[in-house]
Amino acid sequence: MKGAPRIQALAAVAVLAVLPWLTGNAFLQHMMVLWAIYALLALSLNIIVGYLGELSFGHAAFFGIGAYTSALLAMQWGVPVWLGPFLAAVVAGAFGLVIGFVALRIVGPQFAILTLGFGAILHTVTNYWVDLTRGPMGISNIPPFSLGPIALDFTQARNMYYVALAFLVGGIYICHALMTSRRGRAFVAVRENPSLAASIGIDVFRTKLHGFVVATAISGAGGALYGHYLRVITPELMSLQYVAALIIMVIVGGKGTIVGPLIGALVYVSLLELLRAAGPLRLVVFAALLTACVIFLPGGLVSLWRRLRERRQAPEPSGAPA
Amino acid sequence: MEIVVFAQQVVNGLANGMGYVLIAVGLTLVFGVLRIVNFAHGEFYMLGAYFTYYVTSLAGIDYLGALVIATVAVAAIGVFANQFFFRPLRKEHEFTILLSSLGLALLMANGAEYLFGADPKYVNTRYADETVDIGPLVVTQQRLLVIAVALVMIAGTYWFIRFTRMGKMMQATAQNPEGAALTGINTGFVHAYTFAFACGLAALSGALVGPTAMLTHTVGDWAVLKGFIVVVMGGLGSITGALFGGVLLGIAESLGGGYISLGFKEAIGYAIIILVLLWRPQGLFSVGSGRR
Amino acid sequence: MITRRTLALTAAAIALGAAGSALAQDKPPIRIAAIGPLSGAGAFDGQLAIEGMQAMAAVINAKGGVLGRKIELITYDDKGVPEEGVSAAKRALEQDKVDLIVGGWFSAVALAQKEVTRDKIINIMTSSQHPKVTDEGHKYLFRLNATSTMMSDRYAKFICDKMKVKSVSFITINDDYGRLEVDNYKKLLGACNIEVKGNEFYNRNDTDFTTALTKLRSQNADAIYVSAINTSQGATIYRQIRQSGYKGTIIASAGNMNPKLVELSGPALEGVYSVSLFAPDTTNASAKAWMAQYGKMFKNEPSFIGSLGAQSVEVLAGAIEKAGDARNYDKIAAALKGQKWNTLLGEITFDTKGQALQNIYLVQVKDKKIVTAN
Repeated sequence: MKGAPRIQALAAVAVLAVLPWLTGNAFLQHMMVLWAIYALLALSLNIIVGYLGELSFGHAAFFGIGAYTSALLAMQWGVPVWLGPFLAAVVAGAFGLVIGFVALRIVGPQFAILTLGFGAILHTVTNYWVDLTRGPMGISNIPPFSLGPIALDFTQARNMYYVALAFLVGGIYICHALMTSRRGRAFVAVRENPSLAASIGIDVFRTKLHGFVVATAISGAGGALYGHYLRVITPELMSLQYVAALIIMVIVGGKGTIVGPLIGALVYVSLLELLRAAGPLRLVVFAALLTACVIFLPGGLVSLWRRLRERRQAPEPSGAPA
Repeated sequence: MEIVVFAQQVVNGLANGMGYVLIAVGLTLVFGVLRIVNFAHGEFYMLGAYFTYYVTSLAGIDYLGALVIATVAVAAIGVFANQFFFRPLRKEHEFTILLSSLGLALLMANGAEYLFGADPKYVNTRYADETVDIGPLVVTQQRLLVIAVALVMIAGTYWFIRFTRMGKMMQATAQNPEGAALTGINTGFVHAYTFAFACGLAALSGALVGPTAMLTHTVGDWAVLKGFIVVVMGGLGSITGALFGGVLLGIAESLGGGYISLGFKEAIGYAIIILVLLWRPQGLFSVGSGRR
Repeated sequence: MITRRTLALTAAAIALGAAGSALAQDKPPIRIAAIGPLSGAGAFDGQLAIEGMQAMAAVINAKGGVLGRKIELITYDDKGVPEEGVSAAKRALEQDKVDLIVGGWFSAVALAQKEVTRDKIINIMTSSQHPKVTDEGHKYLFRLNATSTMMSDRYAKFICDKMKVKSVSFITINDDYGRLEVDNYKKLLGACNIEVKGNEFYNRNDTDFTTALTKLRSQNADAIYVSAINTSQGATIYRQIRQSGYKGTIIASAGNMNPKLVELSGPALEGVYSVSLFAPDTTNASAKAWMAQYGKMFKNEPSFIGSLGAQSVEVLAGAIEKAGDARNYDKIAAALKGQKWNTLLGEITFDTKGQALQNIYLVQVKDKKIVTAN
């Protein structure tokens, strides 16, 4: 990308990099790590929901697959931990390929229910295949992230934040590169008008499959990071609770944009903490936010900021597709 | 002895399946007439159960009376839900409407936790514990009630849609919304009516099926998932499909869980709909064509 | 809406305030973090635990507090998931800077949480049963609940000696607790020649058990052993057992016998035995004082899980008193491990790993009440 947006992006990364040093509070640093991981996951769901225009209710399953893959590889087969997220991405992407191949022939609400079904089956299998996954007991004492010979303690939130941030920036770069490429423009065409897209020679199915696999791979990497940071994982990672949370982040933040999922994750993580004392009320607040955004602000919070900006100055052509 | 166990599992499955049928009928109607995939349907089931609980325990009204009150009350709430969460989005993409229903579902489920509390409740009906022996088979009166009411409701709904004026208007709106409006049908009214009817059915199923287990605010999630499995199997918009789909699901779960593994019981519903969606996405019993 | 919780918290505040006015106002309170599931699955049990803690804190404060300071409880919701348990613990530790932490219900949450508190602050886990909580614990980690091994040893003796059953079928929760239980019993009951005819696992979210129960019923065992910790599921299972036409004995596991369970299960639980660390008809003075206070503050009845919460506050108060300082964790840990404690659940000690050695009582449901059996 060129010019102003590139400088803005670099500045943003710089600010994010400095963030943990602005406070000595380990709790806030922990929040930052959670934000970075959730942002990565929301970004991956956004590829399916925002760019491809399909609603996937099974996305948490890939997140879970990534977490389990990385944990098992490190604990059972002694794979170096830093390789974990990459291998997790490969495995999750492979599952995405198989499931996508089967499911992407369907669209609309039936696709949503189909992905829900696959997600539920994966959840059940993880729950019952005790020999591999230890079932509902979950896997605990997962080794923390490590860079092999480089002796940095990644149980410290601040250090883990940089790992998560690195992956997040990587994910953002992939999304950006994807959307500015021909394939990205094909995504938009397929989302807006599949029959028209097909008529000009776009292979709708392969386009969607491409996006789906990238999305599931990225969420697998996010799952691995989650596992090595929290060091305990259970099959509940694949449950509807996480699916709903990810959907909320994407929709409230703003689907179809890169900044949207980041903001959505920020809102989710910070509201969870701010409303900690409110008990079940906090979930009511999230639900209200989701519904309000769906009905009044379909572009999410990002569109709110954009609307304000447009009112203040004459609209300028933005460099990168948002 | 083996045959007795098999027969009992079939009866178990039938009883569960009829409960699913009751849940699914409203869901499929809403899709057929309003073209809405309503994720909040299960929450109306939950409300029906909770209202029945509060009416019996606080007002002292007997179970059957409470059931009727709950059904009517929730149907009324359905009117408002439609007004605020779906009517404004009439012209929007179905994706948006689906998300709106998801938001409504989350609001209702968490709101229920907040308002009613986290402690499990039990709707005490004298039918729940009384068993009926049919030869060597055992089934509770409550489950027989579920089967009976489900059959009556299915027949009644089917008759209503085929033979009454409102029913025919619903058919017309389902088949061709613009055409129906052109012939002078107030589609907005038909929508509100259908939605309220469906919510009432959901509440009725909650009041009937609820007493077979404990009641918490999460029962809505369970109900809507079962409802979707049945509706997808039977065909979105098909009432006969809901009947056959529900019974099929109940029996498949029971036999799968009884003879293969209980874990299988959970997954079997999803496995079935995956097969159905891939082979015949319009459902096993509907006549329309699926979207590809 | 004025929820039960708001009323409870208000009552707690008033009770603590009334007690506090008798104390010197210049000493800051001892702040204990109470972390448990307050929403989502497990919310009801989390609520019971916290209520138990609040009642005990009120009792102690009314008697003058600890070291002349009031006990103040700060509640956190872990939503039943590990990352929330971690966030809550971190917030309590780093942000709110509490003096001690009490946590525990779901094992997965406890396992993640203990890493946050590792060697940093005293952390008592009340009910999480996973062995690794203490096996992979740390010097400031303690766990109150008896392990399922301990409970099954005691219970098996009773089943073998006193109950006239020759065969048992199991219906078990599919998690670490349940799996351990059923493995233990297969050995213990086999040793006294009771045949284990079968076992069916069910999951955390199941609401219908008729399929499993039909299978078990066909096995025609003298008794069905129900392994269930969750009140809602337990009640459903007990009812559905009777609804399936089964006429044999029901044995309730050592999971969670509480008054709500009795209320919800109705006639199905009448005469059924169980083991518990807490019997409501106990003559223990501390327990009676606690139950009286609990009854004044809350609508729920005092329960086993509440008693564990209360016990955590009770032993912490005693240990701080002994150590002379609410933040000298080495001294507090040494005090906890160094003597016998007279608590509302009887006399207990802690072993070197921080595991409490509790008294296990045989109880029975009679006339809708839980009473001690012999």
